[in-house]
Amino acid sequence: MSNYEVHVIIENKPGISDPEGETILNDLVLKGNEKDIAKIKTGKMLKFSVSAKDKNSAKSRVEKICDELRIYNPMVSKVTINVIEL
Amino acid sequence: MSLEPQELEELKSKIGRDPTLTELQIVAAEWSEHCSYKSSKKHLKILPMDGPLVIKEKGYDSGVLDVGGGYVVTAHIESHNHPSAVEPYGGAATGVGGVIRDILSAGTRPIAILDGLRFGNIEKDKQARWLFKNAVSGIADYGNCLGIPTIGGEVEFDECYENYALVDVASVGFGKKENLIKNHANKGDLVILLGGSTGRDGIGGSQFASDSLESEDRSAVQIPDPFIEKLIIEAILEARDAKLIHAMKDLGGGGLSCAISETADAMGIGIEMDVSKVHTRESDMVPHEIMVSESQERMLIITSKTKLKKLEQICKKFRIGCSVIGIVKNDNQMHITQGKKTFANLPTDVVANATLLDLPSKKPKYLQNIENDKKLKIPNLKKSLLDLLGSPNISSKIWVYGQYDHEVGIRTVVKPGKDSSVLRLDNGKFLSVKIDGNPKHCYINPREGAIGCFEEACRNVVCTGAKPIGMLDHLQFGNPKDPEIFWTFLETLNGLADYAKDFKIPCVGGKVSLYNETPKGPIKPTPLIGVIGLIEKNPLIPVPITSGDVLLLVGETKDEMGGSEYYEYIHHHIGGICPKVDFKSSKNNMNSVLEIISKKLIKNAHDCSKGGLAIAVSELCMTNNIGCSLKIDKISKNKLSDEKLLFSESHSRYLLTVPKSNLTKVIQILKKHNVFHEKLGTFGNDSVTFSKNNKQILDLRVDKAQKIWINSLRDLILNV
Repeated sequence: MSNYEVHVIIENKPGISDPEGETILNDLVLKGNEKDIAKIKTGKMLKFSVSAKDKNSAKSRVEKICDELRIYNPMVSKVTINVIEL
Repeated sequence: MSLEPQELEELKSKIGRDPTLTELQIVAAEWSEHCSYKSSKKHLKILPMDGPLVIKEKGYDSGVLDVGGGYVVTAHIESHNHPSAVEPYGGAATGVGGVIRDILSAGTRPIAILDGLRFGNIEKDKQARWLFKNAVSGIADYGNCLGIPTIGGEVEFDECYENYALVDVASVGFGKKENLIKNHANKGDLVILLGGSTGRDGIGGSQFASDSLESEDRSAVQIPDPFIEKLIIEAILEARDAKLIHAMKDLGGGGLSCAISETADAMGIGIEMDVSKVHTRESDMVPHEIMVSESQERMLIITSKTKLKKLEQICKKFRIGCSVIGIVKNDNQMHITQGKKTFANLPTDVVANATLLDLPSKKPKYLQNIENDKKLKIPNLKKSLLDLLGSPNISSKIWVYGQYDHEVGIRTVVKPGKDSSVLRLDNGKFLSVKIDGNPKHCYINPREGAIGCFEEACRNVVCTGAKPIGMLDHLQFGNPKDPEIFWTFLETLNGLADYAKDFKIPCVGGKVSLYNETPKGPIKPTPLIGVIGLIEKNPLIPVPITSGDVLLLVGETKDEMGGSEYYEYIHHHIGGICPKVDFKSSKNNMNSVLEIISKKLIKNAHDCSKGGLAIAVSELCMTNNIGCSLKIDKISKNKLSDEKLLFSESHSRYLLTVPKSNLTKVIQILKKHNVFHEKLGTFGNDSVTFSKNNKQILDLRVDKAQKIWINSLRDLILNV
């Protein structure tokens, strides 16, 4: 068994609006001199510390937990999962 | 998204050619059940919609009532059932946003939100719990961000809503009569889209709402942005004060397609619109996507060229988008272009008026024997009462309304948790608003059940001293093409129309939501009735009950256990006689209670509804931390068993708390109106005890009951 950190990034799907990201872009970033920034998207990241036999089983375990507990809504969110071996 | 074959043929013959892709999408959105009311519109005409206080203007999305002193109240009700069933947080929040913009589009400021929520069995069903929790947060977050109080509503759970959600939102607006938008437009006026950007979210939402929810649809999710909504409210009210708005419409179901065609049709004008002028979120949107997108927080405004600059300044100040997207013509056509290229050119009356249907109806088979009474084994009454107090439908909803800001705006003089909340108006009067539904009654007897919901909402506002002046109806049913379901719809409507006519309460707004089907079948008939009541001078603000106060029951208790919480929750029995409203006693009881309140003779008035007398009395005792001993021998003209006396949900009943010194005067008024009433007992000590024939049949410690009643919903949600 090894230790892994599994990063779950939850963000709105492309095409679905992101009021928080738009506000940060329009009301903070573009107010300065950063005119070349085109888009900001917000999201949420969960870091799971897991011990598992390999990278894949760490990933699928976390994936299952997120699905079953409705940690994100598959209707709205896009989920990216990255695994880092510690 | 598509038209049915015969509808496509009809469109072709009306315009004399094949429609373009964009035209097809526009018409499919507008002819959907959600926007066109094609199944229900013919029948809705039987509701009385006029009255001395009703102000009518073409193109209004909300009902307008004159409340005197140069002020008006507006009201509207909407639902967001399908979106909430797949994304409860965003669906419920955008539902609030939509109904608020309906209020705004008449030119009035939204001052209150009410919401009616229905879900599956949350005791057993995890999905129902998830939907419930997130819908409540959605409403709370959106309403609280806007600074509009959520002052009331109701929550109910029933197995017929498994894997589904009914999220109904009503809103009330207030403003000066002179500031109402008188929708008008002249040739050459500009058509402006104001507010958030147009994206691909919510494409096809109204079509989606008109289909049964079989597979999860991904595109129809809308993301709420309350901060833009707040800016829109303030910008529009400022533009209204500067008289910059000739006509206005909110963008709801069907997006620009519906807003443009309905506005043009209502005012008898034509509109030429260029989709390349619409501020979009994504750069590659094609014309028909822009036309049917249901992105939230947008308003359509018509103004003149000379006023444009001022309007743009206001929008700039509030940092909201403002694009001139079209121009008013006098050819009654909606002409959609992208630059110079035409994508659609249709007569507005064809688009805005789908052919209305006359669907067949047939009395459902299940109703044949449903009102037959069944002998049930009676368990211990005290245990039943405690179980009911802790049941999701009856337990205190403080976990819900505790998350809502119900005070912001400092108008809320009677707060949620009572029969009905009361708002202070600027003209010295007060407004009381309540929404009520009861699918359990409506399933057993659609007509009587619907009348019951109407009367219950009236009773609730009457308990604050308000006279009902208007009603909102929200009719929610399954697939109308099923004749049995359509029959229940017609019965409901007839019942509501009869009561409204008899009581001269005009219907000032409403909504029909059909195709509410779960994987297990149609929902029970779920009409939701909102009643707006006006108090000229003195609202009844409940005063704490003290030892020695007398409890009176107005209205007769009958053998009407069908659809009661007692039958359904304790016995899991669906059936029995549905409570019926007797119009004559309903009116007498109402008038006498109003007279008693206006003479300031009582401390508290509370209606008897879900759970019957036993629950209503317990609620009074628990909220006032006091016991009460009552005799229930004479509350019915017939001989009824103990559990029927305690738990029957007969209508037209009120519990009045009278200080001893006023008792004679109160009884005189009741006698004068020839009202059935009974002195139940006096308050005191720390237990509620019911007795019959001098024998105690039930006693309950108030503090113990209170713990169960207040905490059980929260505990269920938090899993403790």
